[in-house]
Amino acid sequence: MASETIRLERRRRLFGGREGAQKRFVTAVMSPAIVFMAIFMVLPIVWALALSFFDFSPRRTGSPILGLGGDNPFVGLEHYRQMTDFSSDATLNVRQFHIGVKVTLLFAFIVVPVNLLITLPLAAMIESVHDRARPIFRTIFFLPVLASSVGVAIMWGFILHPQNGLLNLMISKMTGKTTVISWLGDPDLVYFGVPVALLMVIAAYLWMDIGYNMVIFIAALQAIPRSVTDAARVDGASAWQIFRHITLPLLRPTILLASILTMISAFQVFDLFQVMTEGRPDDQTLAMSLNIYRSAFRYQQMGWAAAMSVVLFLIVFVISLVQARLLRTKWEY
Amino acid sequence: MATTTPKDVRVLAAPRETEARPARGRRHRSGRVILYAVLTILGVIAALPFVWMILSSFKPEAEVRAIPPTFWPQEGTLDNYRTILNDPELPLGLFYRNSAFVAVMHVIATLFTGSLLGYIFAKFEFRFRAAVFWFIVATMMIPPQVTMLPGYLILLQMNLLNNLWGLIIPSFIDAFAVFVMRQFILSIPNDEIWSARVDGASEWRIYRSIVLPQLRAPLATLGMLTFMFSWNAYLWPLIVLTEQNKRTLPIILTWYSGHHSAQNNLIMAASVLMVIPVLIVFALAQKWIVRGLTLTGGR
Repeated sequence: MASETIRLERRRRLFGGREGAQKRFVTAVMSPAIVFMAIFMVLPIVWALALSFFDFSPRRTGSPILGLGGDNPFVGLEHYRQMTDFSSDATLNVRQFHIGVKVTLLFAFIVVPVNLLITLPLAAMIESVHDRARPIFRTIFFLPVLASSVGVAIMWGFILHPQNGLLNLMISKMTGKTTVISWLGDPDLVYFGVPVALLMVIAAYLWMDIGYNMVIFIAALQAIPRSVTDAARVDGASAWQIFRHITLPLLRPTILLASILTMISAFQVFDLFQVMTEGRPDDQTLAMSLNIYRSAFRYQQMGWAAAMSVVLFLIVFVISLVQARLLRTKWEY
Repeated sequence: MATTTPKDVRVLAAPRETEARPARGRRHRSGRVILYAVLTILGVIAALPFVWMILSSFKPEAEVRAIPPTFWPQEGTLDNYRTILNDPELPLGLFYRNSAFVAVMHVIATLFTGSLLGYIFAKFEFRFRAAVFWFIVATMMIPPQVTMLPGYLILLQMNLLNNLWGLIIPSFIDAFAVFVMRQFILSIPNDEIWSARVDGASEWRIYRSIVLPQLRAPLATLGMLTFMFSWNAYLWPLIVLTEQNKRTLPIILTWYSGHHSAQNNLIMAASVLMVIPVLIVFALAQKWIVRGLTLTGGR
C-alpha cells in the first residue's frame, strides 16, 4: 500500500500533473517525428554531401559504413575539381555538366521574367472583366496547372511533331506553304546561343505553369483595398498611373515571393526534359536535373551525380538570396 | 486595368456581387472590347493543346499520320479507346488502383502529421522547438535531386524498392503541410485550449475535438493539393518502381507512348484517359485549390 503511494508520487513528480500531460504529449509526438526526420530528412542531406566525396556506385558493396570506402574509394574534392576543368580535353561527364549548368541557367532566367511578365498583366486583366466571365478565364488558364506534367510533355511532343504536328500545320496554313520544322530535333536551330528545342520546352513549361502565379497575383490584387485606388482616381490619376504608383508597389512582396518560388521550381524541372527531349538534340537540352538522374540511375555514377546535385543546390540557394536582397532593397527605397 | 470591384478579400470564391456598376464612358467601352479580345485570344491559345489532344484521340491512325495533318477529325472513331481498354498489356484498372492507393495514403499521412506537428509547433513550448521547425521549413529549399540519391539507397536498405510503400513512407511528414498548418493553428485562441484542459480533456482529445474541427477548410485544400501532386508525380516513382505492375499512371503513360511511338492516335487516347478525368474532378474543385494556393503561396 505504502509502496503504491510512493510509486504514484514518484510518477506524479516525474510526469507532473497537468503540465506533465503536455510534456508527455509533446514527447509522444516528437519522438517518432524526430526519428523519421533523422532518417528521411537529415540523413539524405548528409549522405548526399558524403557521396559527392566518393567514387560511389550502388553496384559495388564498399565498406559496411553506408557502402562508402572499400571499392567505392574516397576521392575528396576530386569531383568538384573536375567541374572546373574548362579545357577542350575535359571528359564527357565534365562537358555535359557544363552544358547542364548552362541549360538550367538559361531555362530559369528566361522562364522567370517571362512568367512574371505574362502572369501579372493577365491577373490584372482577369480581375477587371465582368464577374460572370472571370471564373471562365481563370479556369482556362489554371487548368494546365492541374494536368500531369508527363501528359503535358507528351502532348507538346505531338504539337511540335515535324510532319503531323499542330504548330507546323498552323504555320503552313498561315504562310501557304508546307512547313516541316523539327522543333525538338534539329541541332542547327540555335538563335542567340539559345537552342530552339530548349525554347520549346520553355514554352511548354510556361504554358503549364502560368496558372500558379496568376492565382497568386489575383489574390494579391483583391487584397488591395478599393478605397486606396478610389482616392487616387478622385485625385485625377489615370488607370496607368494607379497601376504604376499604387498597385505595383503594393504588389512588390508578392512579386518577390512569386519570383523566388518560380525560380526554385524552374531549377528542378525534370519531367518535361525527360519526356519531351531526353536532352536531345546533341545534349542541347541536357538540364542538370536530367543529367543528375541519368548519371545516378542509368550510369550508376552516384558520387558524381551527388556532386552535381550539391552544385545545383548551391546555385539555387545563392540565386534565391540575391533575389531576396535585390527586390527587398527596391521595396524599401 | 484599375476597374477592380469591391470584394470580400478574405474569400476568393466570394458570392457574386449584385451592386450596380458605375456608368462608364465610351472610351471605357472600347477598352473593354480590347480587353475581352486579348483575353479570349490568350484563352484559345491556352486551351488549344487540350482541344487538339482530345480531337486527335478520335482520329483513325491513317488520319493522324496524314501529311498535312488535319485539325477536326474527318471520320470520328472510338477505336483508339477500344484498343486501349482491351489491351492485355495495359491493365489500366491496376494502374489506376496503384496511383489512387499512393495518393490516398499520401493525403492521409500528410494531413495527419501536418496538423499534429503544426499543432505542436504552434501551441507548445519545448527545447529546440524553433530550431526543429526552421529545419523542417528549410528542407523545402533543397532540390529533390539532392535527396533522391540517398533516398534511393535508404529504400534499397529497407527493401522498399518496387513497393508502393516506398513512395509513401519517405514523404510521411511533409514540410509544406507542417508549415501551413502551424500558421493556421497559431490563430486558434489559447483560451479555448486551456479551458478544455481545465475541463479535464486529454491532450489528444483537445487535438481531435478542438483543433482539428477548426482546420476543416485548410485541411480540405491541402488534401486536394497533396492528392494532385501525388497523382502527377513522376521522378520519384520512376526511380522507386521498376516492375511494370507496380507502376503508377504517369510512368505507364510514358512507357505506353514509348511502345507505340508511331501511333499518335493511341497515345493521345491514352493521355486523355489518364489526364482528363482528373482534370475534370479538379476543375470542379478548383475553388478549393485556388483558395489554398492563395492562402499559402505554396508550390
